[in-house]
Amino acid sequence: VFQSIAGGNTVIGKSDLQPTLKALKDRLMTKKVAEEIAEKLCESVAASLEGKKLGSFTSISSTVQAAMEEAILRILTPGRSIDILRDVYAAKERERPYVIVFVGVNGVGKSTNLAKVAYWLLQHDLSVTLAACDTFRSGAVEQLRTHARRLQIPIFEKGYERDPAVVAKQAIQEATRTKSDVVLVDTAGRMQDNEPLMRALSKLINVNSPDLVVFVGEALVGNDAVDQLTQFNQKLADLSAVPAARLIDGILLSKFDTVDDKVGAALSMVYVSGAPIMFVGCGQSYTDLKKLNVKSIVNTLLK
Amino acid sequence: MVLAQLGGSISRALAQMSNATVIDEKVLNDCLNEISRALLQSDVQFKMVRDMQTNIKRIVNLEALAAGTNKRRIMQQAVFTELCNMLDPGKPSFTPKKGKPSVVMFVGLQGSGKTTTCTKYAYYHQRKGFKPALVCADTFRAGAFDQLKQNATKAKIPFYGSYMESDPVKIAVEGVERFKKENCDLIIVDTSGRHKQEAALFEEMRQVSEATKPDLVIFVMDSSIGQAAFDQAQAFKQSVSVGAVIITKMDGHAKGGGALSAVAATKSPVIFIGTGEHIDEFEVFDVKPFLLQKLSEGSFTLRLMY
Ligand SMILES: Nc1nc2c(ncn2[C@@H]2O[C@H](COP(=O)(O)OP(=O)(O)OP(=O)(O)O)[C@@H](O)[C@H]2O)c(=O)[nH]1
Ligand SMILES: Nc1nc2c(ncn2[C@@H]2O[C@H](COP(=O)(O)OP(=O)(O)OP(=O)(O)O)[C@@H](O)[C@H]2O)c(=O)[nH]1
Ligand SMILES: [Mg+2]
Ligand SMILES: [Mg+2]
Repeated sequence: VFQSIAGGNTVIGKSDLQPTLKALKDRLMTKKVAEEIAEKLCESVAASLEGKKLGSFTSISSTVQAAMEEAILRILTPGRSIDILRDVYAAKERERPYVIVFVGVNGVGKSTNLAKVAYWLLQHDLSVTLAACDTFRSGAVEQLRTHARRLQIPIFEKGYERDPAVVAKQAIQEATRTKSDVVLVDTAGRMQDNEPLMRALSKLINVNSPDLVVFVGEALVGNDAVDQLTQFNQKLADLSAVPAARLIDGILLSKFDTVDDKVGAALSMVYVSGAPIMFVGCGQSYTDLKKLNVKSIVNTLLK
Repeated sequence: MVLAQLGGSISRALAQMSNATVIDEKVLNDCLNEISRALLQSDVQFKMVRDMQTNIKRIVNLEALAAGTNKRRIMQQAVFTELCNMLDPGKPSFTPKKGKPSVVMFVGLQGSGKTTTCTKYAYYHQRKGFKPALVCADTFRAGAFDQLKQNATKAKIPFYGSYMESDPVKIAVEGVERFKKENCDLIIVDTSGRHKQEAALFEEMRQVSEATKPDLVIFVMDSSIGQAAFDQAQAFKQSVSVGAVIITKMDGHAKGGGALSAVAATKSPVIFIGTGEHIDEFEVFDVKPFLLQKLSEGSFTLRLMY
């Protein structure tokens, strides 16, 4: 015990790390980090520490904790960042609207958070058009119409049972004509392994080459988060009719207000996709949209 | 879903156990750890996994004392029983009777599938000869009434709702009264999605329940939900008398363990599962055959049991 506190010249071995890492992995999992990701994180922390000298007056557990904190911070701080407002202005210069497509599985909050993003853009004095491209689910068009009315912005809609790729195309044309700065495209929810529906989504994206494809994932999701994102990317790549398929650019993490300290989905989603979390949905009104607070996620996970 | 993979893991773990010449504490622990890992990977609540591990260990050790018993078989049976207990509290839920008016209220988290499932449930009973009706007491979500209306119209089921009224309690009461007069025997009340962190939303649900006096409250849950499921389900149970559960989106890839834990929190049986967005993608749920079938997809055979 004395040695592990006063350390100094102790070389860290695998067996020293095991108990601490095991406990840490369990903690991450109680916070809903997907099992395989908790495992991988622990492996990478172990690899980074093994054979290193333990600093004086530090214990194994605090060394591991610090390494883990750093590893998580690294994952959550995106390598590529996306500045939507800057990109919208750039598109504006070229006299075309900036197009964002919202995708995800059923019921995660695509349409609601699309409306929140519209509100956020309006706050920045940009003009927004909504494109009602969920032409499948009952009430989807009326849902978007209600948001358009409340926000007093135009909506492009063609009712139900139309090809959403075509509706999106027409919406973008219309927005170009009316000089709208941004088009927000709502799509129907779909299961990641539903091939016909994923193919249709791939078509919508490839036909319209949007500036941004946002994956909406709910914070409530468990280990399935990993599969949802991997499969969405995989299917968009595999089912694409064009060679350079577009994949997911960024993530909107919804329903963050419903999970207490079980915030692990954030980590799992970024880890598997490498895409940054661009927004966090934290409620059911227009103002409930935030930026990700990386520090607070790390603290919650390791608390 | 979870159980297929779980079946595989359990079989592997058990096979390893029977390869061992002597089954001692270590072999047993290895086997249990392997099973626990499979459960955790499927989002089964951390604490429940631990409890299950303890329970199994107790059963196995106790029974192992009896001479000549097969540990492997006992393990298999113990796992199966534990899973069954999680999904089925042993008391059947209220079932509506034809010709006798019942009110069934749907509750759940946002986007879990309540509105879709309401119509599926109505349609299922309509085909069995019931006279169902749908009441839209969701005055919050944009487009909620249109959604229910379009679904109901497609299925030719009478519906009630309002674009103007903002009080869900008022609509629920009016709708229920109206359909009772019209001699509907299955009146289904759809409500807004809500979560435990917002007390006002739970209070509203309690009021709708108090005003309509449902014979059955059904908690609708998404199969992809993670470990937050348990706390949420428990909170619903504490606010209204949840009597049954429907798990939706079983056509997805979700492993379903979060849902599994949450079911345990409601102490209510799963009565149906949703397997798609269409109205007929809906199945009666029967715990034992379901478990056996799912587990056997992962080659977990229970031939030893019978
Ligand atoms: N608490 C909470 N609820 C949310 C949030 N975002 C969306 N919701 C709710 O989640 C439910 C589903 O939202 P939608 O926007 O309709 O989800 P969707 O992904 O468009 O659904 P589909 O189009 O049917 O696949 C609604 O009740 C929303 O109010 C959030 O950040 N927090
Ligand atoms: N794939 C699949 N999708 C489903 C299933 N059940 C519901 N959905 C979809 O899930 C999404 C949300 O369903 P809703 O019925 O609107 O959910 P809700 O609980 O009423 O949502 P709120 O009223 O906003 O809380 C919709 O896109 C549905 O089509 C199912 O069993 N399988
Ligand atoms: Mg939608
Ligand atoms: Mg609903």
